[in-house]
Amino acid sequence: MELTKNITLGVYLPGNTLIHTLDPRTKIVATALLITLLLFIKSYLAYVLFLILIIAILIIATIPPGYAFCGLKPMLPILLLMWIFQLFLYSTPGATVIFSWWIFSATDAGLHMGNLISMRVLFLFTVTTILTLTTSIVSLTDGLESLLNPLKKIGLPTQELVMTMIIALRFVLILAEELDKIIKAQMARGVAFDRGNFIQKTRNLFPVFLPLFINAFKRAEELIVAMEARSYSGGKGRTKMKTLHMGRLDLLAGLFMLLFSVLVVYLILTIPPAI
Amino acid sequence: MNPLIEVANLSYSYRAGSGNEVAALKDITMKVFEGELLAITGRNGSGKSTLARHFNCLLTPVSGSVEVDGLSVSDKCNVASIRRQVGMVFQNPDNQLVSSIVEEDIAFGPENLGLPAEEIRRRVDWALKTLNLKNLQYESLNQLSEGQKQLVAIAGVLAMKPRCIVLDEPTAHLDPRSRREVIKNALRLNREEGITIVLLTHFMEEVTHCDRMIVMDMGEIKMEGSPREVFDSEEKIINLGLDFPVSAKLAEGLRKQGIRIPRKTINAEELIKSLCQLK
Repeated sequence: MELTKNITLGVYLPGNTLIHTLDPRTKIVATALLITLLLFIKSYLAYVLFLILIIAILIIATIPPGYAFCGLKPMLPILLLMWIFQLFLYSTPGATVIFSWWIFSATDAGLHMGNLISMRVLFLFTVTTILTLTTSIVSLTDGLESLLNPLKKIGLPTQELVMTMIIALRFVLILAEELDKIIKAQMARGVAFDRGNFIQKTRNLFPVFLPLFINAFKRAEELIVAMEARSYSGGKGRTKMKTLHMGRLDLLAGLFMLLFSVLVVYLILTIPPAI
Repeated sequence: MNPLIEVANLSYSYRAGSGNEVAALKDITMKVFEGELLAITGRNGSGKSTLARHFNCLLTPVSGSVEVDGLSVSDKCNVASIRRQVGMVFQNPDNQLVSSIVEEDIAFGPENLGLPAEEIRRRVDWALKTLNLKNLQYESLNQLSEGQKQLVAIAGVLAMKPRCIVLDEPTAHLDPRSRREVIKNALRLNREEGITIVLLTHFMEEVTHCDRMIVMDMGEIKMEGSPREVFDSEEKIINLGLDFPVSAKLAEGLRKQGIRIPRKTINAEELIKSLCQLK
């Protein structure tokens, strides 16, 4: 059982392309904008526009398409299921039946709905993947901290929240490795994780997660002492080594995104929805 | 030499799980001098960690006093400036590193001090260079060996430019080669950068490089002096649950065989020297 291999959280492809060098804030806001637009799109033409944009970004950022889409693989069965559900269960009055079998019947409205929703999920996934592929976790958190800054005024401890995130990211792998070790230790002592019925299997997990949690708390305690020893006393008075800079490229990218959004909004407003 | 840390009649006790008061430190009086390399040894539970944690305000005395450069540890107003002067490195590197990237983690301390960005950059670069970590600057911490992580932890403390670094069993989790690497760098910081080092350790080989050593047991200081003086009293060392450096044992064995090796030979270099002088 190699758990660490399956963790692809925030895979980052280092690079020096235009997309990589953009300010993380630009990329986060752009991603948020694209996600919002995706939620309102109801026409194929807009999706084609999106596809062009995404392919263009992938080319500029020199991301191999395989990389951008390989994370989708485990989602495909769910997507297919969703599509089938929409196809057979969604219908509008006056929709034409295109296919029927036994008690099931598919309408063209259902077909469109299935297509649109599947595409929406696909594009949502790809857009966020592009963000994590081209932005390191460190600059992501930096960007997030800076973007959340205004919320400090209403009393949200943004710096502490981001620090929590940074530490969580660091310990994901450590805890995964530890889980691996505990499982192996228990296996060495005769716990058969793959045998028995559901209840027995569930019961076998207790001697795994109990030590993991206890160790996690011990680690947390030690970490607190170490952070305190390194003069950490909350976000107050803390400075950053890397300050973020918006450049001309960010302005250009922002303008481009604005144009794109205007175009998409225009499409949303003028083209009658496919269903 | 003037004392940097002065401990006077320090006692500390904590409440154990059973509810009883356990005295971890009993009436300790000692000094850490500016620029020295001091080793504190003793078996597990001897109180050496508890003592060291008073040096940078992680613990405050129950009775007695601890002063760092004249500032009392018990006074809350002094905490920030004392932690600026006395840095601390712990046993398990994984539980003291905060960020996922080497240079980001080294910047954590200076960032806490509220320094301007350029100054932090300068200090991080300096710490990386001093500990020869330049090639690991952008590396992910998960990719590093335990020994390299411990060096990053030391760099993180070094970047805060402390006058004293307390190393709390920094090599306990390491393999022999990384252990040597860590100790070598600690020695270098002491000799070349003039940083006072307090080394808490179980390994007698590491102690032989120090200027002075303190042996603790049951919350008390049992022996104090140069490693040469301390290792001279054989029985006491064994009774305190400690061991001799390999070179000292070897020298002793050779002496018993009638080979003339001077007493008080404690480290490999000295042993080699006296062996070479035999003929």
